[in-house]
Amino acid sequence: MTGAGTAIWGVGTSAFGKQTSLGGPRLAWQATVEALDDAGLQASDIDAVYAGTVFGDPGTVTRCLQQIGIVEVPVITIENACASGTSAFHEARESVEMGRYERVLAFGIETMTAHFDGAISPIASDPDGAQGYAMPSIYGMSATRYKYEFGVTDEQMAEVAVKNRRHAMGNPRAQHHKTVTVEQVLGSRMVADPITLFQCCSIADAAAAAVVGPLGGSRDPSGEVAIRSSALRSGRLWDHTTDKVWGWDIVSDTAARAYEEAGVSVGDIDVFEVHDAFTIGEIITTEALGLCELGEGGRLVESGHTSLGGLQPVNPSGGLLSRGHPLGATGLAQIAEIVWQLRDMAADRQVPGARLGAVETMGGGTAGIDGNACVVTVLEQVG
Amino acid sequence: MPSLITTPPERADADPRPELAIHEGRVLLTGSRCGDCGYPQAVNPPRCPICGSHSIAPATFGPKGTVFSSTVLRIPVPDRTPPFTLAYVDVDEGPRILAHVDGPDEALVPGSEVVLSGWSEHGDPVVRRSGP
Repeated sequence: MTGAGTAIWGVGTSAFGKQTSLGGPRLAWQATVEALDDAGLQASDIDAVYAGTVFGDPGTVTRCLQQIGIVEVPVITIENACASGTSAFHEARESVEMGRYERVLAFGIETMTAHFDGAISPIASDPDGAQGYAMPSIYGMSATRYKYEFGVTDEQMAEVAVKNRRHAMGNPRAQHHKTVTVEQVLGSRMVADPITLFQCCSIADAAAAAVVGPLGGSRDPSGEVAIRSSALRSGRLWDHTTDKVWGWDIVSDTAARAYEEAGVSVGDIDVFEVHDAFTIGEIITTEALGLCELGEGGRLVESGHTSLGGLQPVNPSGGLLSRGHPLGATGLAQIAEIVWQLRDMAADRQVPGARLGAVETMGGGTAGIDGNACVVTVLEQVG
Repeated sequence: MPSLITTPPERADADPRPELAIHEGRVLLTGSRCGDCGYPQAVNPPRCPICGSHSIAPATFGPKGTVFSSTVLRIPVPDRTPPFTLAYVDVDEGPRILAHVDGPDEALVPGSEVVLSGWSEHGDPVVRRSGP
């Protein structure tokens, strides 16, 4: 497969935040109707739905979509932890690429405030989760290791939150619209040493969607964004032979596959949306994507290279640190942001002249493996 | 960590956590080693994930190990009271496991030497610092 044959025809999202009272269907309608309108399609035009949700009740996706008329089609729900939404996108694209369907809705939703007051509860059936190993402690481990091995500083980690919260000032759909300083980030409550509260993404309720179809096949091809590649994989074993922190290799391996399929190198890419669930996560991910060498991620963010105005902005939307992280919706919100960037529609957070963008999402929570799933996709402006 | 238990607690068959046992007065990690490639695990599956061999034999590891990394979790999780210290430990000649740390509420420096020492009140494997 070349990846040259598919495109995103339209995207949509709800607002992101703690909005328990809205419930799943209303969030879904906002995202899906916006994506359908953007693609110039009716609900009855959709051939199939691939959806991502992690904590959704059985039947969540059909319950969300039936009342806007997406019925009598295959609806396939995928759980792939934090990468559920981009996994759904990946499968939607594959299905169009292989000629199985023509107009596919990739959809993601999570109503997390219905399930949690704070952090996601550890998974009791997991060897690590059964010990009370909540997600922030996974990243606390990585941060401790990075401070020890590479001399990454607390200030460099805090700078990720400062940058992404600054970016979110231009994103009306983000949950957090307030800038923070390094001092405020480091002065916030300690959650999992050395990760403080402002270095953790918030939970959120939201939905997001993308319509995928053949390149050039929509009613207005000038609005299409080409899917140059998409890669999805689970991690290697993460064991006593592994020197890297958890999640490094899976992102690097997935990105290598996505770059190869797209025929691009990391230096060609103008803008990135990456999985910054915690500050150290963005530092690790920018290294693994190849934006800098192993161990240089702290210095990269400090240099301004990944800020709006820098050479390769990362998370112009404000990222998960500003949007919040409704697991199933996150990946498709990242996709929507890159589509808006490539169409020059991102207003105050626009990366000028962006033609090539990449999305990375990585999900974990399973002991002994270097991530449950990672998706990297490369998108290109063609209009 | 409030209290260290040094006698093996009752353990459900489905308990996914690494299993410790006492052998000749020492706390050891139980698991398996591949008879063909030598790969050690804290579980005992029917095939080796590295070489595919069916020749998996029960084995014990430890009691010493080295910290890969560590953190202190300071937010509440169900059934537990924060803060508590956790570490990934590369057990000598054995696998990497997550364990609770018996000691002050501060993360251990990677590279620290630890020893398997028992169980937490919740039945988690526990290590304590044994050297530099």
